[in-house]
Amino acid sequence: MADTVSESEGPAEGESPSLAAEFEAVKQRSLWMDALERMVRNKAAVIGGIIATIVILMAVVGPYVAPYDYLRNDFSRIAEAPSLDHWMGTDVLGRDFTSRIFNGARTAVFVAVVVLVISTTVGVTLGATAGFVGRWVDDVIIRIGELLSAFPNILMAAFLSVTMREPVTMFLADLYSKTAWDILNQRIYIDYFLMFGAISATEWVGYARLVRGQVLTLKEMGFIRAERALGVPQRMIITKHLVPNAISPIIVSVSAGVGGVMLTESTLSFLGLGIQPPAASWGNMVSENLTRWRYDPHLVVMPGMVLAIAVFGFNFLGDGLNDALNPRAIQR
Amino acid sequence: MFVFVVRRVILFIPVLFGVLVGTFAFIHYGPGDPLSIMFGEDDYENDPEILARLRKIYGLDRPFFIQFGDYVCGGLCVPDARNEGIIKGDFGKSLRSQRDISAIIRASLPISAQMGLAAFMILYLVGVPLGILAAVKQNTWIDYWIVAGSIAVASVPIFVLGPMVMIVVVLKLQVMDTPVGWEGLFSTNAILPVALLSLGGMLGVVRMTRAGILEVVRQGYVRTARAKGLRERMVISRHILRNALTPVLTGFGPTLAGFLTGAFLVELVFGIPGFANAFISAFQGRDFPMILAGTMLGTFMWIISNLAVDLLYGVMDPRVRYE
Repeated sequence: MADTVSESEGPAEGESPSLAAEFEAVKQRSLWMDALERMVRNKAAVIGGIIATIVILMAVVGPYVAPYDYLRNDFSRIAEAPSLDHWMGTDVLGRDFTSRIFNGARTAVFVAVVVLVISTTVGVTLGATAGFVGRWVDDVIIRIGELLSAFPNILMAAFLSVTMREPVTMFLADLYSKTAWDILNQRIYIDYFLMFGAISATEWVGYARLVRGQVLTLKEMGFIRAERALGVPQRMIITKHLVPNAISPIIVSVSAGVGGVMLTESTLSFLGLGIQPPAASWGNMVSENLTRWRYDPHLVVMPGMVLAIAVFGFNFLGDGLNDALNPRAIQR
Repeated sequence: MFVFVVRRVILFIPVLFGVLVGTFAFIHYGPGDPLSIMFGEDDYENDPEILARLRKIYGLDRPFFIQFGDYVCGGLCVPDARNEGIIKGDFGKSLRSQRDISAIIRASLPISAQMGLAAFMILYLVGVPLGILAAVKQNTWIDYWIVAGSIAVASVPIFVLGPMVMIVVVLKLQVMDTPVGWEGLFSTNAILPVALLSLGGMLGVVRMTRAGILEVVRQGYVRTARAKGLRERMVISRHILRNALTPVLTGFGPTLAGFLTGAFLVELVFGIPGFANAFISAFQGRDFPMILAGTMLGTFMWIISNLAVDLLYGVMDPRVRYE
């Protein structure tokens, strides 16, 4: 834990110089360096990290390096097998599949990042409030969370994305008429906004519970109370001890959550309730081409495999982070 | 025990009612006009008179609470009711097909239920032994393969796994025809859907069984049982398994949620006319009475299964007491 390191502000008076020298010789390492080292030793986590980096790179620069426009149809070349022109072939509407996969990565990462930002912000704020304030505030927040998780989250997300489509469309049109921002006028983006809301609506509950539990236990921990008794400034307690202890479970569950959110998004899109066809999502790419599985299996396998590998990578990364940031939980 | 069950059942009512009010209000205030879904946008739009008459016929001009009362308890609560009310098992009519929703449910739910139960049994019959094997052979290649394999399977969504398995089994191996539709549980068509459905929860069951056993094996009472000369079989079945399997049972909830999602995907991929499929097409077609019925039924089953988990927990673990 962090407390072995941070107190080394030099030898106290009266100690022998040899002890002081020995004390200096111990290299200072932060919690994060420790974690990084444990992480690098874990092969699965490294592989997961590499996959995650590639997926994120695909999302960020993919659309610029993609060989074709992902929306352009070439009706003379429909459902072609992979070739030199089209590395992954073309789909049933003659669109270049590589470019669509790249744009699917953008959708997956974009949705996952925004959903996780929204739900951690909401979850951490509400969870910390519930933990600190207690009493009826705690009760209300916990009850709301329970009600939201009263049914499986995919059902909730599907329900919200269907019922909220029209209000969100109207709201965005209204916003467009006031701001004239081009992004609000494109139908493709409506799906994104719907996904953010529909998935975050249940996703935050887990983070709120986690943070609440953390705050409740940490508040009563001996070392926090001891520091308070010793007169360590509040700011030091929070930054040096409360935050590192409370944040690592959050980081772990966020990184484990990326894969889950990607799965939820692509499942919804596969069902036709998420990102709608002209826009590319790995989920709707599978469902668009599902009727051709017998003749052009690659059209179904490619987006599916990419999705599976991405989820796999993020899950491994989350697992590795869990081991690295929770030295107490190491089992093997 | 009995009092506990009764109290839990009574507590269902406010939860179900809350969900009902919430979903009904969402549907009432959220999306567009049900008439436009029934008849399409352009047919009536020019004629407000026809529109008003249709609204009157379907009772859509009444205030929210009257419509809600009509939906819940029909003629008992509201004069001039359109429905029998869900308390009599009438969920209204589907906007799209104009069929009675309760008839749709009666036709489709048994298919989904059979599939779910079969998958559930396979899941535990395969998953628990695999978990035990992994724990017994801990840190050998058997353990690694079981754990890594179940993680790999869990990372691949069913809607990807389904077509891929079909490509292998139907196109490459050619051992069966394309499985489409439903011809009863004991036909070749049902093999792939049920297997895929059970794979969805495999990781959870394997992981929990393995972790449970590894934890229990190191306990003092297991050593005591061995030390007093009990046969190994007795030690495993009485002392280890019983304690190790309790967490596996409590993990039943997430497993069920996985089944629900899995059922949507499996039924869609294999074209099975089950409940999840009917429900998904309701979602896609914005058939709101159908969505409402499905949500209520889903919540109901969810709550019932949670209660079942709690009760089973008490049976398995004598330390749990209900008062």
